[in-house]
Amino acid sequence: MDNIIEVRNAVYEYVDEDVVKRAVDNVSFSIERGSFTVILGHNGSGKSTLAKLLNGLLKPTDGDIFVDGINTKDEETEIEVKRKVGMVFQNPDNQLVASVVEEDVAFGPENLGLHPSVIRKRVDDALNSVGMYEYRESTPHRLSGGQKQRIAIAGIIAMEPSCLILDEPTAMLDPKGRKEIVSTLRKLNKEKGITVVLITHYMEEAEKADRVMVMNDGVIIDDNTPKEIFKKVEVLKSVGLSVPQTTELLYALKQNGFNISTDVLSVEETANAIAYCLEEE
Amino acid sequence: MAILEVQNLTYTYGSDAIFIKDAVSDVSFSIDEGEIVGIIGHTGSGKSTLVQHLNGLLKPTNGKIFIEDNNIWDNPKEIRKIRSKVGLVFQYPEYQLFEETVFSDIAFGPKNMGLQGEELEKRVIETCEIIGVKQEYLQKSPFDLSGGEKRRVAIAGVMAMRPKIIVFDEPTAGLDPKGRQDIMEIIYNYRKATNATVIIISHSMEDMAILADKLLVMNMGSLVMFDTTENVFKNGDKLREMGLNVPIVTRIFDVLKQKGLNVPDDVFTVERAVEVLKKLKDGERNA
Repeated sequence: MDNIIEVRNAVYEYVDEDVVKRAVDNVSFSIERGSFTVILGHNGSGKSTLAKLLNGLLKPTDGDIFVDGINTKDEETEIEVKRKVGMVFQNPDNQLVASVVEEDVAFGPENLGLHPSVIRKRVDDALNSVGMYEYRESTPHRLSGGQKQRIAIAGIIAMEPSCLILDEPTAMLDPKGRKEIVSTLRKLNKEKGITVVLITHYMEEAEKADRVMVMNDGVIIDDNTPKEIFKKVEVLKSVGLSVPQTTELLYALKQNGFNISTDVLSVEETANAIAYCLEEE
Repeated sequence: MAILEVQNLTYTYGSDAIFIKDAVSDVSFSIDEGEIVGIIGHTGSGKSTLVQHLNGLLKPTNGKIFIEDNNIWDNPKEIRKIRSKVGLVFQYPEYQLFEETVFSDIAFGPKNMGLQGEELEKRVIETCEIIGVKQEYLQKSPFDLSGGEKRRVAIAGVMAMRPKIIVFDEPTAGLDPKGRQDIMEIIYNYRKATNATVIIISHSMEDMAILADKLLVMNMGSLVMFDTTENVFKNGDKLREMGLNVPIVTRIFDVLKQKGLNVPDDVFTVERAVEVLKKLKDGERNA
């Protein structure tokens, strides 16, 4: 299998009030090139620290992380790792640097020292791929949260990374903005083949991922397809996560003696399962 | 009895003729003492601008606001007094923590109202009990707490003033599911302990279905619906036109109805859904 990221026994420790704490505790996994992975976990589960380890912003205290075969600890190739793995953070306002949208998106490629015509093309392509081309001459601060976050994503895309890591990119957005981001990510993954690692605590966003990892106390406690993960309602609740209301309803029905399948996710599928179950009775 | 009455409130911003825009346009409603009212509407619909009028942070361009039958702008010099009656919890309130200890931060509001010594201490401790901030945290720096804990302390600071009306602007934004549930419980507990009137801006229809007695729907600066939560959620199509929606369980029941199942149209929570489906299942068995 072709893996873009390999994590081997990664540990990350920090000191808080003279006590050594482990944010990431001996974690191993790999991310397949071109895949869409969601990492779920509550606040403080270690998922943000893990994200920063994946693009070399943090170096593991112990263990190794390889991006395209390059060890993130290797200082000589540090820049290369960051070019391959782009990162998007929670608050779009903290990530925008210019007062015109296209200048903001051009900031990264300009720093790569590319020819202006190449920069122009990259900026246009990036803005098109997040559906913000028509706003290229607008001022970022007049845009909605979802639009700003898409500009931030375009800024990273313009650097042409092979992998995109997003740390709760939707946490500060309204439902509409959240949907915009998730569908943009899906499009980038499908059409451009960019590997996506989406870190979130919204289960709905995990619905169409290839793979879901659940993090708790610095450890990955589960790693499976969304359907398999969402079946484990009790486990998810015990680590401070919630399941979508569709799953919650099916689970409650099952507990109330309904012979119903709980491995469906959408509203449509849930209604079908209920209707089928009632007919069978 | 109405504790809050808003009459024909309009707020216009921008002074240049071309940029003039109504953020809130001719809004009227009244809220009874002890009610929990949810305000819903997409981003930019005027929700936050509306609630910033309720404690006098913004002055209406037109219209009046009455708290306990008093027009809050009758005496503009006294407007600060209204803030101990109407507490406003902003979005991301944890950014406003500033004191050296959790205790001083929570005590800041009631102290400004004139509470001192034992009385002040008692007030802070009581508030902590209501919202579940541990006593041993009181001497910590608020900046050493986790995000969720910081938010609780910030909310406690407003609650410690015991406002008769407490307004929350998206209190759960940015929190994980456990954090969201904790905040909803705090609001519920505060209301139970004090019988305060609660106004809450939210994007979560599922939370509103459980918590709110009434819903006020804003769209493009206007109030388009103000009714019981049940009656508002019966207007799914109208909500969708405004970019809003009904709770997910309600959407499931809409599909069941389309399939020809005989289900009622007042299912907004999982609890109620289970109750209805159980009846349906038992009924079919008996038939």
